[in-house]
Amino acid sequence: MAAFAQLVIIGLLAGGIYAAVGVGFGLVWGVLNIVNLAHGALVIIGAYLTWQMFAVWGVDPFLTLPIDAIALFVLGYAVQRGVINRIIRAPLLFTFLLTFGLNLIAVNVLLLIFKSDFRSVTTAYSGAGLELGGLVIPYIRLAALGIALVMAAVLAILLSRTRVGLAIQAVGSDRDAAQLVGIDLRHAYAVTFGLGAAVAGVAGGMIAMIQAITPTAGEPYTLQAFVVVILGGLGRVSATVVGGLVFGLVEAFGQSIPGSGSVFANAIAFGVMVLILVTRPQGLMGRLR
Amino acid sequence: MKTRILTLLAVAGVVALACGSSSNQGATGSTIVLGAPLGLTGSLTKESALTKQGYDLWLDWINKQGGINVNGTKHPVTIKYYDDTSNANQSAVLMQKLITEDKANFLLGPYGSASTATDAAIAEQNQIPMVEANGAAQSIFNQGYKYTFGVLSPANKYLQGVLDMAATLNPKPTTIAMLSADDNFSLEVAQGIIDYAPTKGMQVVLYKKYKNGATALTAEVQAAKAANPDILLNSGHLAEAIAINKAAKEQKLNAKIFAYSVGPSTPDFITSLGKDADYVYDGSQWTPQVKYTADFYLSVADYVAAYKAKYPSEGAPDYHVAESTAACLALQRAIENAKSLDPKKVRDALAALDVTTFYGKIKFDSRGINVYKPMVVEQIQNGQHHTVFPADVADKQAMYPTPGWDQR
Repeated sequence: MAAFAQLVIIGLLAGGIYAAVGVGFGLVWGVLNIVNLAHGALVIIGAYLTWQMFAVWGVDPFLTLPIDAIALFVLGYAVQRGVINRIIRAPLLFTFLLTFGLNLIAVNVLLLIFKSDFRSVTTAYSGAGLELGGLVIPYIRLAALGIALVMAAVLAILLSRTRVGLAIQAVGSDRDAAQLVGIDLRHAYAVTFGLGAAVAGVAGGMIAMIQAITPTAGEPYTLQAFVVVILGGLGRVSATVVGGLVFGLVEAFGQSIPGSGSVFANAIAFGVMVLILVTRPQGLMGRLR
Repeated sequence: MKTRILTLLAVAGVVALACGSSSNQGATGSTIVLGAPLGLTGSLTKESALTKQGYDLWLDWINKQGGINVNGTKHPVTIKYYDDTSNANQSAVLMQKLITEDKANFLLGPYGSASTATDAAIAEQNQIPMVEANGAAQSIFNQGYKYTFGVLSPANKYLQGVLDMAATLNPKPTTIAMLSADDNFSLEVAQGIIDYAPTKGMQVVLYKKYKNGATALTAEVQAAKAANPDILLNSGHLAEAIAINKAAKEQKLNAKIFAYSVGPSTPDFITSLGKDADYVYDGSQWTPQVKYTADFYLSVADYVAAYKAKYPSEGAPDYHVAESTAACLALQRAIENAKSLDPKKVRDALAALDVTTFYGKIKFDSRGINVYKPMVVEQIQNGQHHTVFPADVADKQAMYPTPGWDQR
């Protein structure tokens, strides 16, 4: 029983990170109809910003998260406005090609700047945690889960309650109608991509605290974000959060099947994704569109 | 006009240099071309960069000597590198390109067992010797290949030294939790432990495999904690070693020995983990503290000094660098012994090679792997690497047992 409870905790805590990574990916996918293959690279840029500020200037890693968000928003806005907007109405394959290329550029620029050394943010409180009757809850992972949930809530409110958010939603449901009522499409697109990048940056900052990073460490996160968004369902922030938590749980339990080892953890997670696609194509919480 | 004068001057300078070197050191022969695909981008960039440093360190030295001496003629050496993007299939394609297009005389290995395995097949098909330093899986050497030689100790020995050391400690640890990535090399390391532990009176209480490259390993560590082992072993790579050490602290897994096959020997392990890296052991092919007496090339101390002079920002060389240099040395000495650049004759000279270098003994068994050099055990103490076993090459005693995470 204790082992079961511990696994649930491990899964939920890991799921918080997956949700944080997935939210930005899902927003960009849902509104812009772009499967952003450079999403993992944005995550790792955030991770390196946090590492840089921690290692060089001694800033507490949690204090760097807002800076990650602002920096990545600016970067994301610029990339969308300057590059991706040019092909926004082109077939899906072009957006694949373009974002794949952007990913290569980002990874190699990071390699030039930071080399391929493994980096990690290890603070005095790294690894410390709550102990509750034999159950362990590491503080950093708990905080990361909390931040992921708060961030998702803020994003959801932003999208449903503010003028910019409503504009983004309008563009997501019908871009031509949105343009007719006077929404500046290019600006709305760029803000959306910027928001997605900002959330990715914060996720990256938290990832730098819990694992070792290299410029190539982002690629698995692109794939995970994809699964998380499909699991939860496209088009709603809360659905992606659920998808992330479910993915974390599936992974944790997949890793601990007795005898098999965790070699199949990924296969199980993708199997669940296929199962969801077959039985509930709109995702666990998605709405059919 | 000005450019023409400059060109003339440059040509004159080159001629003078060329004459100068030939008059000092006898006749200069054709340039020997060595080829090596390395993961200059992709997931193995760090290890590949260390490999390249090891090759380049030797290259500088041998060309300073005028080249490799073949029957009194000195042949300068160049190494042609290609970026295999850390992909084993790409590595094999580039190996073929090195042979057919670049006319490489001999081959140096890529980084990693996967790429080495695909490249070994190419070397064999073309009957060009490949000396490699970074593929330790025995599966490479069990194919009956005649043209691949590995200077490093085979995979199954990686962590056995840790058990040898553990058997000498008091109180003696007896239970082992073994975590392993699911790639060929890591599984051989783990199997080496499963086979070896009973002979040392130890018991493997948990053996768990995980996906190669995984970064979420908390559930594995949790399973290991439930088994309450004296020794936690991991057979994987640097990223996984860091992930497991972090998870062990979070989950408060208090073993008496933490030992990881690959990872702790690199400076990145200490810079990533800070104080949490202390007390961790690893099996290492080589350490800067070993005491071998070299037949040729540099002594251990001179090697470390030469490395620090060429790469001032990197600290002491780790074993990836040393073994890569050793591969070049094996090839150099085999060419000298063969007194020929003929691939077949150099192959035979490699098979007969028996030398001791700063890296230890280099001698190949009939399969082409160096089973004659022992692994050494390192421990990180106060942020520094120290050699703790075997006793005759050690510079410090093991700090044992590892204190609990709460008492550090």
